[in-house]
Amino acid sequence: MTRSADTHCPYCALQCAMTLTPTGAPAGRPDATTDAAAAPVTVAGRDFPTNRGGLCKKGWTSAELLTAPSRLGAPLVRGADGALHETSWDEALDLVATSLRGIRSAHGADAVGVFGGGGLTNEKAYLLGKFARLALGTSRIDYNGRYCMSSAAAAGNRAFGVDRGLPFPLEDLDGAETVLLLGTNVAETMPPFIGHLAGAQAAGGLVVVDPRRTATARLTDDGRGLHVQPVPGTDLPLLLGLIHIVIAERLVDLDYIGSRTVGFDRVRRSVAAWWPERVQSVTGVAALTLKRLARRLASGANTYILTGRGVEQHVDGTDTATAAINLALLLGLPGRAGSGYGTLTGQGNGQGGREHGQKCDQLPGYRKIVDPEARAHVARVWGVSPDVIPGPGVPAVELLKLLGAPGGVRALMVHGSNLVVSSPNVLDVRAGLERLDLLVVCDFFLSETAALADVVLPITQWAEEEGTMTSLEGRVIRRRRALTPPDGVRDELWILHELAERLGSTAAFDTDPEAVFEELRLASEGGIADYSGIDYAMLDRGDAAYWPFPRGGESTPRLFVDRFAHADGLARLVPVAVRESARPVATGDEITLITGRLLEHYQSGAQTRRVPELLAARPELIASLHPATGLRLGIEDDDRVEVSNVRGIVHCRARLTPDIRPDAVFLPFHYGDEQTANLLTSDEVDPISAMPEFKTNVVGIRRLASVPAMPVAESGVPA
Amino acid sequence: MSPLHVVLVGYGPVGARFVEEILPGVRTGAVALTVLAGEDVEAYNRVLVAEYAVGNTELDAMFVGDRETAEEAGARVLLGVDVTAVDRAARTVALSTGETLAYDRLVLATGARANVPTLDGIERHRRDLASLEKYGAQLVARDDDLPAGITALRDLADAERVLEAVRARRRIIVLGAGVLGLELALAAAHAGAQVCVVHHGPHPMPRNLDRGGGHVLRSALRRTGIQVIAHSRAEAVAFRTGEDGERRFDMLVTADGKQIRGDLLVLSCGVSPRTELAVLAGLRTASGVVVHPSLASWTDPAIFAIGDCAQVVERTEELARQRTLPGAPSGLIAPGWRQAAWLAGSFLDEAVERPTSATPPVEREPLVMLKAEHIDVVAVGDLGGDPFDDDALHPRRRVSQWADPEHLRYVKMVTEDGVLTGFASVGMPRTAAELTLLFERGGELPADRSILLRFDGPDYDPAADADAFAPATTVCWCNAVTVGRIEESAACGNTTVECVGRDTRAGTGCGGCRGRIAEVLARVGDPDGEPTLTV
Repeated sequence: MTRSADTHCPYCALQCAMTLTPTGAPAGRPDATTDAAAAPVTVAGRDFPTNRGGLCKKGWTSAELLTAPSRLGAPLVRGADGALHETSWDEALDLVATSLRGIRSAHGADAVGVFGGGGLTNEKAYLLGKFARLALGTSRIDYNGRYCMSSAAAAGNRAFGVDRGLPFPLEDLDGAETVLLLGTNVAETMPPFIGHLAGAQAAGGLVVVDPRRTATARLTDDGRGLHVQPVPGTDLPLLLGLIHIVIAERLVDLDYIGSRTVGFDRVRRSVAAWWPERVQSVTGVAALTLKRLARRLASGANTYILTGRGVEQHVDGTDTATAAINLALLLGLPGRAGSGYGTLTGQGNGQGGREHGQKCDQLPGYRKIVDPEARAHVARVWGVSPDVIPGPGVPAVELLKLLGAPGGVRALMVHGSNLVVSSPNVLDVRAGLERLDLLVVCDFFLSETAALADVVLPITQWAEEEGTMTSLEGRVIRRRRALTPPDGVRDELWILHELAERLGSTAAFDTDPEAVFEELRLASEGGIADYSGIDYAMLDRGDAAYWPFPRGGESTPRLFVDRFAHADGLARLVPVAVRESARPVATGDEITLITGRLLEHYQSGAQTRRVPELLAARPELIASLHPATGLRLGIEDDDRVEVSNVRGIVHCRARLTPDIRPDAVFLPFHYGDEQTANLLTSDEVDPISAMPEFKTNVVGIRRLASVPAMPVAESGVPA
Repeated sequence: MSPLHVVLVGYGPVGARFVEEILPGVRTGAVALTVLAGEDVEAYNRVLVAEYAVGNTELDAMFVGDRETAEEAGARVLLGVDVTAVDRAARTVALSTGETLAYDRLVLATGARANVPTLDGIERHRRDLASLEKYGAQLVARDDDLPAGITALRDLADAERVLEAVRARRRIIVLGAGVLGLELALAAAHAGAQVCVVHHGPHPMPRNLDRGGGHVLRSALRRTGIQVIAHSRAEAVAFRTGEDGERRFDMLVTADGKQIRGDLLVLSCGVSPRTELAVLAGLRTASGVVVHPSLASWTDPAIFAIGDCAQVVERTEELARQRTLPGAPSGLIAPGWRQAAWLAGSFLDEAVERPTSATPPVEREPLVMLKAEHIDVVAVGDLGGDPFDDDALHPRRRVSQWADPEHLRYVKMVTEDGVLTGFASVGMPRTAAELTLLFERGGELPADRSILLRFDGPDYDPAADADAFAPATTVCWCNAVTVGRIEESAACGNTTVECVGRDTRAGTGCGGCRGRIAEVLARVGDPDGEPTLTV
């Protein structure tokens, strides 16, 4: 096979377009005696409205994973000796099916849990939800998007009646004169995105709110905008303060508020108590800065407000995202040409992955699982009685707390997620996984989670499969196969099909992605995320298909032009308040931990830590501290430090940088084992979205007596 | 179980917060709540009255209470209704409507009223027990009427009077240089009025600022065009009769004989708690209604006080015998809100017979911030001492100071064992914001105190710490390519942006750095010369 394939990057939600051209090098694992095989495909950026031919370092090196030495090439089963051993597919699948049947008959269907991921294609995500509900009969399915988009999704649904990350094409940002980025470091997480900020930069209107002086914050230098550096955990008061100023200074768009929204009066009351000086005393952002920012946002120039995980991954993340939406609505931005509100979806298919049934309370098409009409519709497509479909399950963190608990989950299937790196309070998650009777992990590599599994099923990578993804714009795009997968690996659709059959399910589990997509179209028809008008042929022609795209209807590149998705067409202004008891506050010597991302790594690092060039650039966990904090704690650059709290202990190297506030420490969460930042994060969750708190955990830091440098292998690739 | 009957007197911002916090109990029926709001208006944020008085905000934007929600939950909110008397034995209150209400818990959130200083020409009423017993109906929940052209600045009616003068660009005299007086003066001046501040101390905000801070503030005020007359004790007001036959304020006369003319005199001479109901009911009062840290009255465990009318004093036998008591209501909103939230929580616990675990809020010393567009003042704590003190009484106290009166900047930081116990900051907003946080959290100051000052330095540009052409400086963010890597590539013969891109991937992401790559290449070609752009 030498034809090249037009596809998209395997990593983030920007889904940069790329072309893969086979080199003729043999696919599959390299010979054990060589370090690495030549990549079987070359990667080239492809012109597309989002990335315009560009790729970041992760995208350029993505093909190296196809032949990475540590790639799994056969199913693994834990033997009596406690080690994982290669076995045949039949044996592995029989074992899984037998165990699942046994657990189900002994403990009931809800004793089996499923944990999905935001990187799965639409077809996989859809089929996984169906598999859980029909083949397993369990309500207990949720996914890692709970740690990612759940707060913004809940806020969007509440305000607009729909949750599409960007309700407009990314290119619209090019014409912006003011862009407010709240808690997002796009320059590192999706670098080609920043090309779309050039207009705002040229107009001096790029505003970045982040407690760290990130690469994105630096884009505001030299008169190109403003970096606002609040205390971690004060995003909500900051936004309430901006709303207060916008109202007090009569900068609101009264016509828009009157004709397109409800709830202004209560929101107005809810911010009366947040005058600028009070906000200054809480956030550390000068009142004058707040006023200037509010005035800039309201200056009438094309203005966009975009949120990221920085303001959403909080125990009050839904309310914080809601405050950002309220600000946008009061300024009349959503649905107005040349302006808007959006949230930047993170994972590759973080958008599609949250629409088609991986969420515990949801059925395909962004339908609610408790809605009788939705159940009836999906049951018809699935050819079952609505009563067969289980009710709502529990969100991710709660699901993990049920692992091995009485009446809880005895078996867990994990798809596209590295739980013991990306979940909060990792020690508890590890303990939960160890209490299970059966842990099945589908992955390309022996991730930290796979290493704990009873059965590991090796699966295809992006260049070896067909399917669709839905980008951060809500645009459905095609993933195309450039290579035949290596012999020992299988597609997850096939795995679900085989398991369903072994479990005696009579429902259809197609193995052909296009056939699965056709079914997804029917299932989503009439739902909020309606894909029924989209087909592969259309996507292969290059048509831009933004959902909702009803059968016989049209693509919807821009939502909210005439109406919002609530029945009355109006957006909801929802008053939100600061809950003072929401989070512990660092006092005295304590420091606030911010977790986040690096350019070179993606999510749990299961993939990027296996790309030599990326690992070499960022081989180990490093804690970023302000020099003043270093001085106070007796920590110098490159010292080894212990970062700890009641939940756990992390050892790493320290880097002193003025780019962080003196009251905070930054740890990227991409590393495994004792370098896992999530050992320190709390599993308290947002009461609405069930999002954990990743950004304001309280820690102590101390210098460790000098010890030899840690070998790279320990932090990088497990053997 | 019958509900806990709670009667709240006063519906200002603190009362409104109490209502908000206790609503969950009202919803379940565990609490029956009646609110008596003296003013015939929704609860509004009094902090913003000065803003309203100069036309910077509208009344709509000041409302804090959500009466509709409270009423939906089952609370009874009576606007414009006063309590005229409390019968402690019967546990009832008498209302101005003639109604009598029973209570299990009575909460006084009556706030404070503006002080009217002793001035010839202005009539004042005493509110001691004898006067209250004699003239109760005229004095309880009522403020003294002031002559035309003279006003306090406490409620909306006051603000309307000021607004009229500001709109007409009249000359306004502010008597008093506390934080509220100065806020009004600055806002009014900013709105175009002529403003004169008269005060008797040596410098403005004498209660909050040390001498250095005060002097810098005075200079800053004068720089904005406000006339500041210090060392002047006001003694009398004089009136004139206008063409309409109305007798109006004409001038303020000071003890040293100055005659200061103006159109409106705004009295900003502090506030006094409204204690008259408590006095009539025989509750212990000092400057405010005296309550335990649990906010219950010293005299009657069924009566509580929160906010500006409450004076929290830990009761000891010795203090109980004294006539005067230490402390006073802070006059700031944040402590009042904390009290309201805590008290509502403890009532909720009581109503469902749940043991209450939380301890009452312990107030730190309140922080004072001047709200003004162009002058930034924040101060808190004891600002005594100077950097060179060797004070045996304060062996661990250290003082750092920065004074630049010419450029209107001043910071004083007082620490004990490195922890901030007081500071004053004038004209340095970023520094003030950081010091505020450090004070609130009890964090240690950086050993190099000057770090805190640099936030406001004219050179403060975090971008400036990086040499744009230093080898480690990142040029291409998408691919994390540094200046050094590009120079290396150029040395290997890659002399165009395209070649460098193929070699290092620089410029192959968003493409935004291609110009910068060209600059780096140009410098490689001609290290000493000006960069020339060749792509």
